[in-house]
Amino acid sequence: MSPAASPCCLTCKYFKHAPAHLEAALPGLSSLSSAYAAVRGDDGICAVHQRYVTASSVCPAFA
Amino acid sequence: MADIAQTAHSRVIARRSPWGALIRNEDWWAIWIGLGLIAIAVALFAGGSSIKWIAVAPQKWSHLSELRQQLKQHGLQYAALFVLWSVSFGIGAAALGIKISRFLPAFLLVYLAAGCIYFLGLWDQAAHYNLEPPLVALGLGLLVSNTLGVPRWLDPGLRVEFYIKTGIVLLGASLPLTLIAWAGPVAIVQAAIVSLATFAVIYFAAVRLGLDRRLAATLGTGGAVCGVSGAIAVGGAVGAKKEEVSVAISLVVVWAIVMIFVLPLVARALHLSTGVAGAWIGTSEFADAAGLAAAPPSGGYAGNVPGIAGNPDAAVAAFTLMKVIGRDMWIGVWAFVLSLIATTRWERTGIHSKSRAAEIWNRFPKFVLGFIVASAVVTLVARGFDYAAYKKEVVPALVAPLQSFRTWAFTFAFLSIGLTTRIREFASIGARPLVAFSIGVLVNVVLGFVLSTQVFNEFWSRLGQ
Repeated sequence: MSPAASPCCLTCKYFKHAPAHLEAALPGLSSLSSAYAAVRGDDGICAVHQRYVTASSVCPAFA
Repeated sequence: MADIAQTAHSRVIARRSPWGALIRNEDWWAIWIGLGLIAIAVALFAGGSSIKWIAVAPQKWSHLSELRQQLKQHGLQYAALFVLWSVSFGIGAAALGIKISRFLPAFLLVYLAAGCIYFLGLWDQAAHYNLEPPLVALGLGLLVSNTLGVPRWLDPGLRVEFYIKTGIVLLGASLPLTLIAWAGPVAIVQAAIVSLATFAVIYFAAVRLGLDRRLAATLGTGGAVCGVSGAIAVGGAVGAKKEEVSVAISLVVVWAIVMIFVLPLVARALHLSTGVAGAWIGTSEFADAAGLAAAPPSGGYAGNVPGIAGNPDAAVAAFTLMKVIGRDMWIGVWAFVLSLIATTRWERTGIHSKSRAAEIWNRFPKFVLGFIVASAVVTLVARGFDYAAYKKEVVPALVAPLQSFRTWAFTFAFLSIGLTTRIREFASIGARPLVAFSIGVLVNVVLGFVLSTQVFNEFWSRLGQ
């Protein structure tokens, strides 16, 4: 199984990584950068841990 | 349940597909639009024609009657230019997931406001009143968004980074590849010195003040490498708390906007030549968009302010080399190294993250490639012309229209910065992050100044000539 298809943040229901959601959740992000930018990769916000994490991260709270 | 799993799996594969990024990523769309315009311009030039009809731009004017005359004479061209930008940015926005029906009305207002600011900047008294288009666009946007407020329907059209990256790709067409090869290594050395020193100062000051290491790293990269983009890249790589990323973003935006106004004023007061001023701004501004707002006024002082030497375009050229080549390109390396340290040395967060070298490429700001390709294409086209023929034929038919496109794109961006910067929405910063970051700003500005005006002064002055 490839890392991308494993139960990581990217497929977790608590992981919020839609660009529009991120720009709303992080005020100022769209002023001098963008959630659509390459530098962001697939990072997003974990609603359980309230952390900004990479999509390939894993934790016991996966759902 | 099986359907959900299948959908999730497909989504993962689609998101991770290397080809999918080519249409779902803002950097790549900036490349497609910028290089697309350059390709059309080169094709027309090769056929003995020019794209200049649609690359319309305001000319100098003194009285309102002249302004009206320009609008009457070129009204159709301005309408055609709006259609060109709407189609280009509209397709890109739609591919990014922004509804085109929401993007277009907002973009129409951005275009009209940018046009007014562009015209104002060409008033023959504009320099006398310091009405530089980038500063006017930014100041007006800030004033409106923080007093009257900006209606939410405008948000889809306020894509700062999309416009600025497209402008940077187009900017590549004005810089010979030989210049990038000549000045690039010096820019990398100077930027590396300042980036490492600034990061170290902010990081250790923050840790000393008792802040979490992940916040310290996020603040440090935001101040040292590429502003908000640096903060989100490293914030994600090290797994910072959401509010820590917000704090870093707020600090970067506030300081970057302060520097937009301060750096050109100091450069003017100290009579820095245009190349030196651009190098300093490239070293000490925090974000591409902010620096590209600060650099043109510094270039514009040449010829208008006694004692300031250099080519007006040199400020933007030096800034871009320093910021894009010297700092932006390395964000993936910073993110990878810090994620490695975070996962192996720092306290655990309950989330297990993997450090992958592939992130260096994943986070690479791809628009830099477009900037270099644009430079290579126009350098290749101009190769068969001597200097006199280049000035007489290539500049008016090819380079100047592309510069006009670039100015439009930058003006959209500057206006969008102001209109999206709503200070009251920013996270509560707190005294300790403010102190740590501000110490870093001080070191960054002083060190950048010393390197630009003393250590590498001769080099940047020559670039300005």
